[in-house]
Amino acid sequence: GKMEEGKAYSQDGVLGHLEMLEAQARELALKQEEMEQQEEKLAGLKARVQELRAQRDELRAKVELQQKQLLEKGVVKDPAQPSAQTVLEWKIKSIKAMLQIFYLTGISGKLTKRGVCFCISTAYEGTYLGSYYLDILTKPEVRIQRHSVPIFIPLEQIAKKYLQTDIRRFLSVLSDHLNAYAGRRYQADQFEEHFSDRIEGTLQRNSLCNLLVFNYNVSSNRKTFLFNVKLLYGDLCCSLPTEATISCTPSAPASLAEMAAAHSEVFRHTALHKAFDSLSNAKETQD
Amino acid sequence: MENSIYQVYEDEIQLLEEEIKLLSEKYEDIQQESTFFSDEEILASIKLFQREFQGQSKGHESPSDLKAQLESLEREISFLMKFTGIQFTSHSKKTLEKSGNRTVQKHRLSGNCHSLPFQLEFQLLEMQNKENVSAVITDLSIITESGEYSDLSKLVSSTEEHGSLLLFFRSLSSYAEWYEHRRCTFLHFK
Repeated sequence: GKMEEGKAYSQDGVLGHLEMLEAQARELALKQEEMEQQEEKLAGLKARVQELRAQRDELRAKVELQQKQLLEKGVVKDPAQPSAQTVLEWKIKSIKAMLQIFYLTGISGKLTKRGVCFCISTAYEGTYLGSYYLDILTKPEVRIQRHSVPIFIPLEQIAKKYLQTDIRRFLSVLSDHLNAYAGRRYQADQFEEHFSDRIEGTLQRNSLCNLLVFNYNVSSNRKTFLFNVKLLYGDLCCSLPTEATISCTPSAPASLAEMAAAHSEVFRHTALHKAFDSLSNAKETQD
Repeated sequence: MENSIYQVYEDEIQLLEEEIKLLSEKYEDIQQESTFFSDEEILASIKLFQREFQGQSKGHESPSDLKAQLESLEREISFLMKFTGIQFTSHSKKTLEKSGNRTVQKHRLSGNCHSLPFQLEFQLLEMQNKENVSAVITDLSIITESGEYSDLSKLVSSTEEHGSLLLFFRSLSSYAEWYEHRRCTFLHFK
């Protein structure tokens, strides 16, 4: 009857209400957990920051004390007698530092199980340009197992001539070739980087960088003419051209021939990336 | 956003870790560069070291490791100096600047190239980029016993002017060989 209906209805209501309360409680519990986790993580991060700050401050003080000692006594030595381990570790670092700069001399290397791995450094004036490696075996005979020398360098020729009889000479001659090549390439790269707006078109070069061609404008009597330059570096161990051929359009006036000769001289005696500056001087006297 | 609360701390942590790394390196560098131990002190330490750590290996490097490392390094440098004829008798460096991928050091290097002595001072700037390390020499100062040999003093002044350290070594090397050869030839005829 009606009693049963009412009873059933209110039972559902209560259950429903209970479920809702449970759900709310679960949600609250989750949010609480999240908040606790967040707080924990934050606390952890804060603690880590404090820890690192303390470490950093300690180090700063250490370095400051070191500076003070250096100023006062000129050396930093522990007041106590340094331990044997400290001394040896110092020596080890010392030799490592020496080995690290040996490449500045041009030829360095490392002993390997079956021979030596040589390293040839290249440089143009004060700028070191890159190293080339040769893995050389010494038994049963001296031979090159691996290398990073570019193929347009006559390595085989040089090896045939010197490798068996005088390995130092072999490395020396190879170094001359590599340094000259690196020097030519450096000049061409610098020229492209700083003077591309002064030339017409682009600089053309071969892989060995011993043949360079480019064009640039000159003016004479308020007219502009195009000079075509061909630089040939006939000596592979040299980073200055042996020939500088400048040609102009056939219709150009005779006075231009003089200018071309003057410019040619400049190119033969000045590094390419410095030549244009010298040219401006030559140019000013013509105009 | 939630993440931003952590971000502030995480950023500071990263900065602090970097600063700590640079400071420790600076401390170690200065410690290394302003200390000096003579060969006698080193020999004494080798003997002492073996006795001190007889049978122990607490997580320090065992005596055989350090000694072996030292011997191996000495063999390497000895081979290079003998092969190239360029003997370094003393080397000291001072790190002037160290940041990210850029290091500036001042070096003092003395030695002999075959029989010709030299003393060098220079500044070395090394920069690490993606594929390799680039190096530039500045403030090069060279002292040799050029005395009677005007060729040598010409070499010194032109290489000093352009910081051409590599060229100096290569030229000094061939010059020294020529000098040796000449000396031997004279002796032969004496």
